[in-house]
Amino acid sequence: MAIFNLKKREIECKVVYYGPGRCGKTTNLEYIFSSYKKQVKGEMVSINTEGDRTLFFDFLPIGLGQIKGCDVRVQLYTVPGQVKYSSTRKLVLRGVDGIVFVADSLEVRREKNMLSLKDLQANLKEYGKSIFKVPLVMQYNKRDLAEQGIPLMSIEQMEKDLNRQLKVPSFQGSAVSGEGVGATLKECLKLTLQSLQREFKWAQ
Amino acid sequence: MDIKQQIKATLQEAEIYRSQGLITEAHARYQNAVKIINSIENLKNKDSLLKAITEKIKALNITQEKVDKGPTTPELSKKAQDLIKNLFTFSDSKDEETAALEGAVALAKFGQFDRALKELNGLLAKDAIRVEAAKNILRCYMASTSTDEAINQYHQWHSGDLFQPQQLETVRGYLVDILQKRGLEANLPSPLGMAAKAAKTVEPVIDIDAPAETEEEFLDITSIGITFDKGPRKGKMVEFDVNFQSGNTLSLIISKKDNDLIDGLEAGTKLKEVQFFSPIAIFNGAGVVVSKTQIKTGPKQGDFCLDIRIVST
Ligand SMILES: Nc1nc2c(ncn2[C@@H]2O[C@H](COP(=O)(O)OP(=O)(O)OP(=O)(O)O)[C@@H](O)[C@H]2O)c(=O)[nH]1
Ligand SMILES: [Mg+2]
Repeated sequence: MAIFNLKKREIECKVVYYGPGRCGKTTNLEYIFSSYKKQVKGEMVSINTEGDRTLFFDFLPIGLGQIKGCDVRVQLYTVPGQVKYSSTRKLVLRGVDGIVFVADSLEVRREKNMLSLKDLQANLKEYGKSIFKVPLVMQYNKRDLAEQGIPLMSIEQMEKDLNRQLKVPSFQGSAVSGEGVGATLKECLKLTLQSLQREFKWAQ
Repeated sequence: MDIKQQIKATLQEAEIYRSQGLITEAHARYQNAVKIINSIENLKNKDSLLKAITEKIKALNITQEKVDKGPTTPELSKKAQDLIKNLFTFSDSKDEETAALEGAVALAKFGQFDRALKELNGLLAKDAIRVEAAKNILRCYMASTSTDEAINQYHQWHSGDLFQPQQLETVRGYLVDILQKRGLEANLPSPLGMAAKAAKTVEPVIDIDAPAETEEEFLDITSIGITFDKGPRKGKMVEFDVNFQSGNTLSLIISKKDNDLIDGLEAGTKLKEVQFFSPIAIFNGAGVVVSKTQIKTGPKQGDFCLDIRIVST
């Protein structure tokens, strides 16, 4: 739920990283925090539980500077991926403007990806949003593990599983090394701002 | 693959899953390694290898327990609580009292009951939001301590003079209603001067309890792939678009020129191998043909309408 201050020409919008437990959502934010110093506008806050799993959310404020005469600020969040934290996940999703769905490329996590996407759809629906309309980008994470001989799904497979009908932009990534992290975020921000423009005509 | 290589690869996989916190997956790989090792007759170091793996599995089990037990609602630092209040207050109303109420409710939603209760109790002083604050206090007690605590609180309010009778009656109705939803009966006295009215249904302001698992609804299925087990297409999968869906029944319109495709399909035909394509996931399952009718009039005259019920997925 973006906040506009048309007098001051400011926008603040919300982007949420969604995906199954352990897929690398927090790692994406950590990479952004440490690598995009110029854009980062405050501390990254993580509320974790046992074994660095997200309990409530991670939060990182960033700023994109002036875009079309508007000062654009973005709040990045991650949800807790563990199945049992479903009500918190829903809470964090509230008022979302754009979503990055981080899918785990590990073959053993195939089903978890699909269930998480289904969970996203259901939660969006409860907020009256359609997964087909919300600005959404996919990231197929942990591609680096192929080098170590760990069984990964092919990109074709993942596209077929998760993106066959959504047909949203997708990126390969390796959040630990940062590969694909920036590209994923940029595309998501682009879609988000475009969608807000259609809705609110904020740009001059 | 050479069997030693295979063991090594399996263990390496297990190790990576473990390091990423994928406990179940790591567990399965270690078990698999044990199986492979046991199947080899004269493996050097067999015993020490097995022992090492057993240790790993033990450690995994301990981690699993910790994760399962992981605190559901730890008390956060004041700074983190302030952040939550800030981030999860959605009303853009300039009204300070409403914002304060929303902040306190946000704390409760994230399980920060002590501070939420403190703030909500403070807000009881404000006439305009007194009732909402009171409702949320009751919800906090129900979620954090007990129903009895909520009932006690009501009695206290009832014997005090903070509330106007109409306000307290609203709060009473609210509490009776949530108690009823939990199958509980409580005899709560109405405020003086208020006839005991039937509690009207009040929407809960916050939902602190984990929501009950809702019954799984059927996903929208956009197309299905049927693998034929007889007829000219035996063994082949043919994909059909779904024209209409009602619950678990899918209607397909099949053009008369594709008549031969559905030749073998009649009402009652069981389809053992069906792929259902929904926008967000593909799943396999079985279906049964409910009806097959030829369309008699209109632009689709002569085409077939096939209704298929999903029987298992
Ligand atoms: N090799 C590799 N490991 C990764 C990658 N991304 C994340 N990981 C590891 O996967 C584990 C889980 O990463 P997190 O970022 O905590 O996952 P999460 O999605 O935030 O998990 P939850 O908070 O439980 O939902 C950590 O051990 C990360 O180091 C990646 O691209 N490659
Ligand atoms: Mg996390």
